[in-house]
Amino acid sequence: MLKRHYKLAMWLSTALLVLSMLISLSIGSVSITLLDTLTVLAGQAGPSSLAQTIILQIRLPRLLCAVLVGAGLAISGAILQNATRNPLADPYLFGLMAGAGLGATLVSVVLPAHIISMALGAFVGALFAVVLVFAVCAGQHWRKVEYTLLAGVAVSFMLSAVSSFVLYFAEPFAANRIMFWLMGSLSRTDWFSVLLLSPVVLLVLVLALALRRQLDALLLSDESARTLGVNTQTLRLVLLLATALLTACIVSQCGGIAFVGLMVPHIVRHYFGVTSVRLLLGSVLVGALFMVWVDNLARTVLPQQEIPLGVITSLAGSVFFLLIMRRQRL
Amino acid sequence: MLKLSAVCLKLGEKTVLNDISFALHNNEFIGVIGPNGAGKSSLLRVVQRSLTANSGQIMLKQRALAQYKTAELARTLAVVSQNPIPLFALTVEQVATMGLLPHKSWFEVNHSQDQHQVSQALNRVGLADKASQLIDTLSGGELQRLYIARALVQRPALLLLDEPTNHLDVQYQHQVLELVRALGIPALACLHDLNLAAMYCDKILLLHQGQQYAFGTPEQVLTTELLQPVFGLACEVTTHVLLRKQQVTFLPSQTGALC
Repeated sequence: MLKRHYKLAMWLSTALLVLSMLISLSIGSVSITLLDTLTVLAGQAGPSSLAQTIILQIRLPRLLCAVLVGAGLAISGAILQNATRNPLADPYLFGLMAGAGLGATLVSVVLPAHIISMALGAFVGALFAVVLVFAVCAGQHWRKVEYTLLAGVAVSFMLSAVSSFVLYFAEPFAANRIMFWLMGSLSRTDWFSVLLLSPVVLLVLVLALALRRQLDALLLSDESARTLGVNTQTLRLVLLLATALLTACIVSQCGGIAFVGLMVPHIVRHYFGVTSVRLLLGSVLVGALFMVWVDNLARTVLPQQEIPLGVITSLAGSVFFLLIMRRQRL
Repeated sequence: MLKLSAVCLKLGEKTVLNDISFALHNNEFIGVIGPNGAGKSSLLRVVQRSLTANSGQIMLKQRALAQYKTAELARTLAVVSQNPIPLFALTVEQVATMGLLPHKSWFEVNHSQDQHQVSQALNRVGLADKASQLIDTLSGGELQRLYIARALVQRPALLLLDEPTNHLDVQYQHQVLELVRALGIPALACLHDLNLAAMYCDKILLLHQGQQYAFGTPEQVLTTELLQPVFGLACEVTTHVLLRKQQVTFLPSQTGALC
């Protein structure tokens, strides 16, 4: 990828993201003009108090969450694909989603459904899955990335089986609640979600940017990276833990949103470049842009009803991805 | 530069290297030869610290190898191994730039002199005009030269090469070894081709079943008495008329079959 193409892609996606965010704030069940939206954001008087409340209390935190979730999932995917040298790696690699599902299921079935409990349950469940995978891989297995990936698959199936077992004996509506939550939604996000997600996304991004040379070196082979002075085991452990923490935070706030972490990095590599700085910054912009529009669709396509985000990301993402693969030989 | 004293390596129950002792002095090019499983690559891995010797001592620039920190070792010693192809297509320049890694801290950016150093290294290996080309479009010889360029960017005091001429056409084999000689950096290389070793190496280490069978100049090591028992084949060693270098010809076990 030529340098000027990278710069053009950066400018274009930044401009599109800003424009999309403004549009996102003005569309919804109550339509607000772009001018009124800008006035509210500038903190000036003018638009009705209802418009101010809708923008500042409902749409803005949800929009910022969409940006953070999209960016977070995309950079997690990008880091994991490079760190494990596996193009199919995604943020839910270590049974995170199954762990979050089990946590949410247990909380929902044992305690009366309350969103904070469910989020907390999901967070603890996701971390439990990661700890389980890392415990299995401790020692010799940790040396080989393939073992880690396989351990993630095994833990994922195990925790899903436990969830299914619990749901089978639970009251009939529990499965529905869990299913909708697991398919992803930003409808329950608020300023707390923004405060929780923003430092974690920023921290993981800064960490990955600081380790950009090491991440690039891993693209060749572990042995090659070691000859450049990279401690591959420690590096991989740090990166996997950081992305696991980030994904657990995201899952706890909005459930499982499939395909973003897998697909966005591949699109970014094509238009921005494959080295880590380009990949990470591109993933932030494209991931955020994609998620903003997915959420716009989720809350506006059907009247009085939201479509789960995971449904749209999987559908739109896979079709878009297949089209690019076919046209550009990705 | 590099001194090994009574180095032994065991992998499980198997003794892979036994009592290896030799010294590599400044500007020397030492070739390690021997049949498959003799311990050539293991020796290189011990020197690059991918494997840890069970006993013996390795001194690099008058310091014990074990005392080097990881990044410090990468600044002192560069390895050109069998060419890994990256998962995603990188350019020639991006791979060469990786050589800066051991010299850079986490948040340090690349400066113009770093860029100049990368360009110089690519120029030295004859790849300057292919800097923006993707590496999966390079030939085997070009790829090997690229990894040598990456090693040059590391600014090492010692170069380790693991079978640098493997899978290369004859012209590239000579091109790569001529380049290594011309760099003026002391080098230790595993080589399969004994005639190439005779042509380019100052000294040769002959390994047999993990043992140091012989060490010396090509004239001292490349003899029928030493090579025949190690490779299990009859051979003839002559001196090339023009080059005045040893030339080894292995003979089939049943010579009559070829007549």
